Amino acid sequence: MWNEVIELIPSWGVVFQGIMIFCVPFFLLRTISWAKAKEDRITTRAEKATGSKGGGVSSVENSGETGILEGPVKQSSSNVVTKDKGKRITYSGHFEDDLQKFREISADMHDVNVRELRIGSIKTRAALLYVDGLTDKDKMDQNILKPLMNAYQPFMNMNNKAEAKDLQDILIHEILLISEVELTDNAYLSLQKVLFGSAVLLVEGISEVFVLSSPKGATRGIQEPESEAVLRGSRSGFNETLSDNTAMLRRHGQSTELAMISFTLGKRMQKELILTYIKDIANDELVEEVKRRIKTIDIDDVQESGYVEQLIEDNSYSPFQQIQNTERPDRVMAALLEGRVAILIDGTPFALIMPVTFGMLLQSPEDYNDRWMVGSLLRLLRFFAATISLFAPALYISFLSFQPGLIPTKLAISIIASRQGVPFTVLIEALIMETSIEILREAGLRLPKPIGPAMGIVGGLIIGQAAVEAGIVSPILVIVVSITAVSSFSMPMYSAGMTLRMLRFAAMFFAAIFGLYGVVLFFLLLSSHLIKLKSFGVPYLGLAVPNRTFNWKDFIFRMPLQFLTGRPTLLKPKDPLRKG
Amino acid sequence: MSAEVKDRITAVQATIILANYTIAAGVLTLPRTIVEASGSPDVWISIFLGGLISFLLGLVIVKLSQRFPGQTFFQYIGKIIGKPLGVVLSIGVIGYFLSIAGFEIRSVQEVTSFFLLEGTPPWAIVAAFIWIAFYLCRGGINAITSMCRLIVPITWTVFLGVCLLSFEVFDLNNLLPVLGEGMEPVWKGIRPTILTFTAGEAMLFVVAFMDKPQKAVKVIIAGTCISTIFYVLAVVATIGAFSIDGVLTRTWPFLDLVRSFEVNYLIFERFESLLLVIWIMQIFCTFCVAIYAAALGLSQIIHRSFKSCLLALLPVVYIVSRIPPNVNALFALGSGIGDCMLILFGVLPLPLLIITYFRRAAS
Repeated sequence: MWNEVIELIPSWGVVFQGIMIFCVPFFLLRTISWAKAKEDRITTRAEKATGSKGGGVSSVENSGETGILEGPVKQSSSNVVTKDKGKRITYSGHFEDDLQKFREISADMHDVNVRELRIGSIKTRAALLYVDGLTDKDKMDQNILKPLMNAYQPFMNMNNKAEAKDLQDILIHEILLISEVELTDNAYLSLQKVLFGSAVLLVEGISEVFVLSSPKGATRGIQEPESEAVLRGSRSGFNETLSDNTAMLRRHGQSTELAMISFTLGKRMQKELILTYIKDIANDELVEEVKRRIKTIDIDDVQESGYVEQLIEDNSYSPFQQIQNTERPDRVMAALLEGRVAILIDGTPFALIMPVTFGMLLQSPEDYNDRWMVGSLLRLLRFFAATISLFAPALYISFLSFQPGLIPTKLAISIIASRQGVPFTVLIEALIMETSIEILREAGLRLPKPIGPAMGIVGGLIIGQAAVEAGIVSPILVIVVSITAVSSFSMPMYSAGMTLRMLRFAAMFFAAIFGLYGVVLFFLLLSSHLIKLKSFGVPYLGLAVPNRTFNWKDFIFRMPLQFLTGRPTLLKPKDPLRKG
Repeated sequence: MSAEVKDRITAVQATIILANYTIAAGVLTLPRTIVEASGSPDVWISIFLGGLISFLLGLVIVKLSQRFPGQTFFQYIGKIIGKPLGVVLSIGVIGYFLSIAGFEIRSVQEVTSFFLLEGTPPWAIVAAFIWIAFYLCRGGINAITSMCRLIVPITWTVFLGVCLLSFEVFDLNNLLPVLGEGMEPVWKGIRPTILTFTAGEAMLFVVAFMDKPQKAVKVIIAGTCISTIFYVLAVVATIGAFSIDGVLTRTWPFLDLVRSFEVNYLIFERFESLLLVIWIMQIFCTFCVAIYAAALGLSQIIHRSFKSCLLALLPVVYIVSRIPPNVNALFALGSGIGDCMLILFGVLPLPLLIITYFRRAAS
């Protein structure tokens, strides 16, 4: 018996393998925690949302902040970071000095114009400072210059020299026909406002200047969003101007509960960011968490909403996006009504929606515009297409390399016959085709209009056909790869399609090493990752919550509208029923 | 550290964990082991009886766990029989779970090496599996529950579909006459059933996580019923197709069942790949639950964090899985584990329960 026990003791090879099994995850974990520690030292994103309620922990201290716009006239905030914070140049009221100060600080900006004038009957000197092209010249002429120069009526009962206070009062309330007027005595601030499109009025004797808002740059009108086309639904998309976008949103949802909170981002170039949600639906913790994360953003310039997305998302190392972006106001509105939160940023038409769950990647707003059967079938189709685009090449590789016996006999024979003479292994062949398709796709984005469609046809058909005839790839692979490529574009969200494309390569490698077992393992790995992923405290796959039936009513099948009475429980909205 | 007891699962999730944990490697081998023991085609009755017994054993464990709400077995055993003895028993239970995990993964490796990947070294197959299970288990019991819930629709539909499709080769005569040799073979067949049907021990710690522990009895009823039905289906279909003599000669009878029929009118002709896929997913869940239990126990005994215990147990599981030198030894290990299970969870919990009654009465 002792001999038997000794026989059972594992050999050194096995022990070594066991140690390796321990070491690999150990070092991986060490690397990841080191990377996370480095990241947390640089940014202040250390506390992520891990709360039990949807929306994250409430361990936030609210440090006061942001400007909710109130009233037409306000004193400008002094949290504006201007270049030379130390020297604070202010206006004194003496006309020549003030004008000279302004000319000094705008010495390198030749597009700033100065228009000197005299105000009405009192003949006070004034100067109008503006940037050509940024201000609305017509409005400036009609609403500022004309009433100023023709101002006889308000000054009828006065002497020539009016008090500064009275003059300021009369100018604002009786003469200037502008809806937004600010006052400031900070020269740098006034320069900033001029450079941002306002016109600044400098009046002799008044130590503060008037900032008159009349910006009108050249903007794109409201057009159909190109990246998210739908057949039936509204055809207006956001554009680059924040005020247009917020206006569109307000028009889409005329409700007194639609809140819009504004933040200013960016150290060097300031951009405005608007956080919007519906006050009596969205979960408070979620809103607070989003606000907390926005305040941790520390960057020179926010060029696109993607920057904000990457800086506030939960897990940057996941291939899945945790914040959805969209150009369509109807999508934003639908998300807000579910209890989600949206962010609009000046300068980009892409709005951000958070939190995101997996179902949202497969759903399109037009599923709701059509009747339920069509909507459900389309969603099933998309789900199926997503599976194909992820696993088809991997299954092809695994079946052909490892287990031809598992495919139906006739198909196996025809595939193997067609693969005669192909010099590469299945994996290399598949990689060649997949890489070529990716290159073609990337090139197709940047081709000028006349060549674009022709190149698509050339690339797709002719190169594929030529490759088959040259014997580099097999025809079945061309079919598999093209079906995969087409399926990945059926995703309603472009970013989700990109994720699936990336993961497809990982699946192919798993399949090449382990065959069908590898595909299964890859599926399990992917599911494990999705299960553990959270977007703003909401589990991504939504499986960790009790199984409520009305969550399932909207996942793959879309039940008739009469049955969709509840909002998704994952978000713990304040008002769980959609009706009544 | 018991930081993980903050996770809460509902009764439905607990049922799914239990059902998935029970339906494991035994599905492929039970037809053979049970016919070896009993020698007659009435083994499906044995399975029902075995399910009943397993349910009773599990009930004792549930009642025991319910007396200590919010605490897992490893935490309350010390209170029942004193700390040193409690630690010994806990180590025994941890060893048991590790053996189950090792057994399951060795089965996966044997089946995969035989049917899918002939040239691949076994350590590669096992290592990939272990690492992915480690990744999932780090998410705690909620992650495991979600994974079980995710694969339940897939695996159960394929399993039932395959059983239905196998009616082509089904011959009722192989199962008749019922009770032709009396009840004696039925009793003999119960033993391998219980060995395969290990359900109750998961309740040792699942009850601690439930948000309504009073529903634990329903959980074990439902879990045992579901797994009993699966095993009965598997055994009936296999014996019906092969008759008991045919079953005895095959190592993996259920898999051979799936290979034995062809369907001409669907995309797939042969379904063994599909069945292997779902079986691997099913074993993955079982393995995760077992290794989670072992790591939980270890972390609660030596008071270290759960995640480091999980990491530390990986090489142990691997070494355990490599101990049997061949498939026969593997099955011997399986029955050995079953015997341990009978002692640990069949014989022990009842005295423990009685002791708790006395202690409560005393205090």
